[in-house]
Amino acid sequence: MIVGGCDVGSLTSKAVLMSEGKVLGFSLIKSRTKPEESAEEAMNGACTAAGIDRGEVRFCVGTGYGRDRIGFVDATVSEIACHGKGARWMVPSARTVIDIGGQDCKAIKLDAAGAVVKFVTNDKCASGTGRFLEVMARLLGLGLDELGELSMRAKNPVTLANACTVWAQADVIQFLNDGVPIEDIAAGINNAMAGRMAVLVNNLGVENDVCMTGGVAKNRGVLAAIETILGLRLRAIRRCDPQLAGALGAALIAHEKAAGGVK
Amino acid sequence: MSVRLMRAVETLNNEFVQRWKEEGKKIVGYTCSYAPDEIFHAAGILPYRIRGHGADETTIGDTYFGPFICSLPKCMLQLAGTGAFGFLDGVVIVPGCDSMRRLDDCWRKAGEDIAGVVPQFFFHFAVPHKFAAYTVDWFEGEIRRLIEAVERHFDVRITEERLRDSIELYNRGRSLLEELERMRRLPAPPFTGAEALSVVIAGSAIPRDAYNELLEEFIAVHRAVPRGIEGRRRLMLVGSASDDTAFVRLIEGERALVVADNLCFGARFHNDRVDEGGRDPVRALAERYLRRSDCPRMYGDYRRRLEILVDTIRSASVDGVILQNIRFCDLHGAENGLFERDLEALGVPCMRIEREYGPLVETGRLKMRLDAFLERIDGQGRTA
Repeated sequence: MIVGGCDVGSLTSKAVLMSEGKVLGFSLIKSRTKPEESAEEAMNGACTAAGIDRGEVRFCVGTGYGRDRIGFVDATVSEIACHGKGARWMVPSARTVIDIGGQDCKAIKLDAAGAVVKFVTNDKCASGTGRFLEVMARLLGLGLDELGELSMRAKNPVTLANACTVWAQADVIQFLNDGVPIEDIAAGINNAMAGRMAVLVNNLGVENDVCMTGGVAKNRGVLAAIETILGLRLRAIRRCDPQLAGALGAALIAHEKAAGGVK
Repeated sequence: MSVRLMRAVETLNNEFVQRWKEEGKKIVGYTCSYAPDEIFHAAGILPYRIRGHGADETTIGDTYFGPFICSLPKCMLQLAGTGAFGFLDGVVIVPGCDSMRRLDDCWRKAGEDIAGVVPQFFFHFAVPHKFAAYTVDWFEGEIRRLIEAVERHFDVRITEERLRDSIELYNRGRSLLEELERMRRLPAPPFTGAEALSVVIAGSAIPRDAYNELLEEFIAVHRAVPRGIEGRRRLMLVGSASDDTAFVRLIEGERALVVADNLCFGARFHNDRVDEGGRDPVRALAERYLRRSDCPRMYGDYRRRLEILVDTIRSASVDGVILQNIRFCDLHGAENGLFERDLEALGVPCMRIEREYGPLVETGRLKMRLDAFLERIDGQGRTA
């Protein structure tokens, strides 16, 4: 039985196709202005990657901010539950999940069975989100991947006085004008990001094992900073791209729903 | 009928207010539920609770207030500054919290810049933060000071007889509101939480005799509903100033029902009576308003408030509690943290939301969190 998960986020849209617990194919695209178009493109991309027709997908779950606008899904589930589910598949021992998406960040606590027992999300502003990193990387003339790699070479990371995205931009421009090495600025940005996230995680209460999902999980600098601030080791995700966690969780829930196993 | 109640919530200068003014009668607005309505009613004045509903920006509010403060008084001042409360003949500022106390300063200051913003009767009505014999004495004195000021300014007499009549009338309203709450907690409630909140808020903007009649009618109509609302998750909404029925509708959606609340503007201020049998009605008002008003502003009252919540959660078969507060609300923000800790320990799922007062925004993010909360209650994601 082939099932699908489609996660339409604010910055990227993802689709994952699975069968018998294995990933058949996936796609990850930049979100368009219309969620329904993003979903179509992502799902078509996943089908192409898997080498199947759309009609072969027996059950599909939608998640993400655009979930209610996806026409082809059989059910919708919040990204909290999907990320929890996806993270548990990626790291079976995970009890705490840190997810940093395009416009929000979340800390999710799972019970032994993988159900969400508690979650917190940011509710202030764009700082501490993928959008924050995107804005900062653009300011430094770097790609998002480079931001993480470069920051690992920092000798004296700067401190950003404000956690606000807009004010932090002003800080970064000042550092650039002062000739501060770009890797030190990059590290400062990643530390600020990790600091914001640590507030949420501490609010939730850490329970091992901890893993991180979402696009920002691919930034080594942020991962290292979170580990330092929280004083813990994040379990590495190798089973698949951590940015796919939401869509993957949606596909896993689709399988359960199709099989009638869970509510 | 219920349409008239709903309209009274959505429109500041509602049909009842307009008719009242056409009859040449006075209206006094107040900012917090610690102001005794009965005093104004006994004076032939319509007591009207000032809200910030309808303010879609805070340019005036932001001019006088600092940035790190609750947006409710900012919205109130915004509306005042734009003349939305032009029908008020007087204003009573009640320092329920520090933000509300500052509203007194800011409103007076705005009056120096915007003509006609401060009505001639502008009264600061203080309320102690503790319930004890000596604070009731003090509060009784404050109520007498208010009575004297109203009598002097509006040239009226608040007689003991009229005060007793007013107390009886408002107690009748409280009994009806209690019945409304009881119906709301039924296994299949005949109305939604958003409707219930509307009905309660309407009481603060409609003359009490007319309100009691409408309320009685609302209860009778809904008592006759053959089948109530079933099959939804039952939630309780707790926290600071929330008079936004659209927010409650967003929470309820298709899958949930707010079957109980403990909100500023909600039912929590109506579940008691003023003693009608005592020798002194002013003393009875002081006792009731200070002792039974249910707000985290009162010092050393957390345990009692927690018990109220736990009792409500049990009697209304609540599945989960949403603890919301307006950003920068220290009182509810701190208390919600304690509630979350203690209720979760009792096995009650809780979710905290911090938001701005004013137009309902961030609905996408709120909806995601609400869906996730309902999924958590449902046990979504548990491996079969």
